[in-house]
Amino acid sequence: MDDDALIAAVAAGDDTALRALFARHAPWLAARLRSLLSAADVEDVLQETFLAVWRGAGSYRPQGAAGGWLWGVARRQAALFLRRRGPAELVLPAVVAADGRQAADPAEAALSRVVINDAVGVLGPEGSPNREVWRLMYVEDRSVAEVAELMGVPEGTVKSRAHRARRLLRAALRGDPAAGGAR
Amino acid sequence: MTGEGMDWTGSGSPSDVDLGRVWTGVAAEVWRRRPGPAERLAARLLRSPGLARALVTTPSLLLGWVIATVVVLAAGAAVTRSTGTPWVALFAPAVAGAGIAYAYGPGIDPTWELSQSMAVSDRMVLLVRALAVFGLNAAAGLVATAASGAAAAVTFGWLVPMTAVCALALAAATVSRSANVGVAAGMSGWAITVMAGQASAGRLTAAITDSSLVLPYLAFAACCGAVAWYATRIPRGAS
Amino acid sequence: MNIELTDLTRRFGRTYAVAGVSMEAGPGVFGLLGPNGAGKTSLLRMMATVLPPTSGRMRLLGRDPGSHGPRREIRPRAVAAAVEQVGLGDKAKAKLRTLSGGMLRRAGIAQAIVNDPELLLLDEPTAGLDPEQRVAFRAILRGLGERATVVVSTHLVEDVGAACSQVALMDAGKVVFDGTPGELIARGEGSGAAGDAPLERGYSAVLAAARSVPATRSAAGTQRGPETWA
Repeated sequence: MDDDALIAAVAAGDDTALRALFARHAPWLAARLRSLLSAADVEDVLQETFLAVWRGAGSYRPQGAAGGWLWGVARRQAALFLRRRGPAELVLPAVVAADGRQAADPAEAALSRVVINDAVGVLGPEGSPNREVWRLMYVEDRSVAEVAELMGVPEGTVKSRAHRARRLLRAALRGDPAAGGAR
Repeated sequence: MTGEGMDWTGSGSPSDVDLGRVWTGVAAEVWRRRPGPAERLAARLLRSPGLARALVTTPSLLLGWVIATVVVLAAGAAVTRSTGTPWVALFAPAVAGAGIAYAYGPGIDPTWELSQSMAVSDRMVLLVRALAVFGLNAAAGLVATAASGAAAAVTFGWLVPMTAVCALALAAATVSRSANVGVAAGMSGWAITVMAGQASAGRLTAAITDSSLVLPYLAFAACCGAVAWYATRIPRGAS
Repeated sequence: MNIELTDLTRRFGRTYAVAGVSMEAGPGVFGLLGPNGAGKTSLLRMMATVLPPTSGRMRLLGRDPGSHGPRREIRPRAVAAAVEQVGLGDKAKAKLRTLSGGMLRRAGIAQAIVNDPELLLLDEPTAGLDPEQRVAFRAILRGLGERATVVVSTHLVEDVGAACSQVALMDAGKVVFDGTPGELIARGEGSGAAGDAPLERGYSAVLAAARSVPATRSAAGTQRGPETWA
C-alpha cells in the first residue's frame, strides 16, 4: 500500500497500517532526529510522533507528500519536547553547537533555529512585557515572586503574562510554515 | 522487555536508537483496551479499575447467563399463574445458587488467568461478584414473583432461603475449588429442604413460608459465609 | 543452575510415571525428549508444582517450590512487547476466534511470557502445528531461551535439534540420556540404528540401549508394550 492509503487507513483506526508506516518511515525519521537530539531523546520524540500520527491522521490531505507531513509532525513533537525540557530559544542551538557536530542537514538545523527565534519574536519586541516575562521566567529560570519584584508588577500579572506567552508560542510553533514541504 | 520479533533496523536507522522499544511504546498506547461504559461506571463506584474489570467479566453476569436466568424465572412465573403453585419462589433460590457458584473460580472463568495478575484481592473479587449476582437474581426473582400474582408471604419468603442456598453454593465452590461442586451442593441442598418441607407440612412451599425457618436459614448462611471466607484466606496461585 | 532435580519420583497407584529423575538445567532451552508415556508430562507438572512428587527434591530458580513472589500488575508495555515477540504484531487487535491454531498457540506463549518469567515450561507446544508453523515456533523458542530457562517437552526430534542447547531423553520414567544435541548425534553414529536424520539415529540408539539392558531399579509394576514413534 502506498503512503497515502496507509495514512488514510490509520485515520480509519487500522493499527496494522500504523505498524507498516512505522516500519517504512521510522528509520529515516530517527536518523533525521538524531542530528538534533540524543539517542534517548530521539526514542521519546519518535514515540510521541507516531502517537500524534495515530491521533491526527485524519488531518492529512493526500497529495503524495506523506514524507514531508511525517517530518512536520516529528519536528513539532521535537519542538514540544525541547520546550518541556527547557528554554526553547537556547536548547536547540546549544545542542547543535555543544555536540560539536555539524547537523546532518545544516540547512535543517538552521531552519529550526530560525523557526524558534521567529516564534519567540511573536511575543513582541525585546523589552515588551510578554517577551520580558518569557526571558526572566523561562530563560533565566526565575520564580514568579522574583519576576514580580524585578518587573514591579503583581504576581497575578506575571502569571497571566506567562500564560499568554506560552499560548502565543505554542500557536506559533504549531503553525510551522515548513511543515508539509518536500522530504 | 524489548519489542523484538520484527526487524526494525532497516534502511539507515541510527544504531543507537532502539526502534523496537519505540514501537513497543506506541503499540502499548494504540492497542490499549478501552473499558466500556459499564466498566467505567463500576470503576468509579468501586474506586478500583481492577475490581470493575473483575465484576464485568463475571461468568454468571454475562449476557447469555442473564438471559437464561430471566427465561427460567419467566417460565416459573407462567407456570405459577396457570397452576397456582409458586414455582418461581422455588426456582429462584436454585437459579441464584447456580449463579453464585459460577461467579468465580478456575475452569469456568475465562479471565481467570487475567485475574491472577491484577492487583486486586481475591476476596474482594469474590465479594463484589457474589453481591452483584445475588442482587441481580433477587431483583429478577421479585419481578417474576410479582408477575406471577403470588401471595405476599411467598413473594418475599424466598429471599432468606435464597441467601442460605447461595451461601452453601459459595462455601462448597470455594472449598472444593470447583464451580460444579458448588452448583451440585446448592441444588441438592435446596431440593432436600423443599422435599423435607413437603414431607413434614404437606406443602411444597413449606420451605419458603414457614417463618420459624428464618433464623436457622440465616444462621446456616452465616456459617457457610465463614467457611467461604476461611477457604479463601490464601490467594489462589498455588495449587 | 535454574533447575535442580534430585531423584524425583511420582507414583500413581503401583505405577511409577517418573522413576527417579535427577537433572540440572541452566539458562537456555532445555529439551525433554521421549516417546509417549515416558513420563515427560508428569515431570513437567511436578516442576510446575501442580503435581506433588512422591519423593525426591526439587529446587527451581534457587528456591524451594511453592514460595511465590507478590502478584505484579501487567503493564500495557509488557503486553505489547510479548505480542511482538511471538510475531503477532499484526493481529494484536484481532479477536481470538479469528486466529489460526498456530497463532493461538503463539498467543498462549505471549500470555506465559508477559510477566518476563525466569522459568518457562512448555508441554508439547508444537503438537498439531504444520511444519512451517513449527519452524517459526522454534525461532520463538530460541528467542525465549535468551532471557529465561525454557523446558520444552516433545516427542518430535527435530524440535530439539533446532532450538535446544541441552537435551534429556526419557523412557519409562527414567532419564536415559542427558547432554547436548551433538552428543546425542554422536551416540547414533555407527550404531546402525534406525532414523533418517542424525538426531533420530541418536534417539533410536539411546532408546535401544536403554531397553536392552535388564532394568535394575526399574519402574515397579509397569509393563510397557513396544513403542511406536514417528
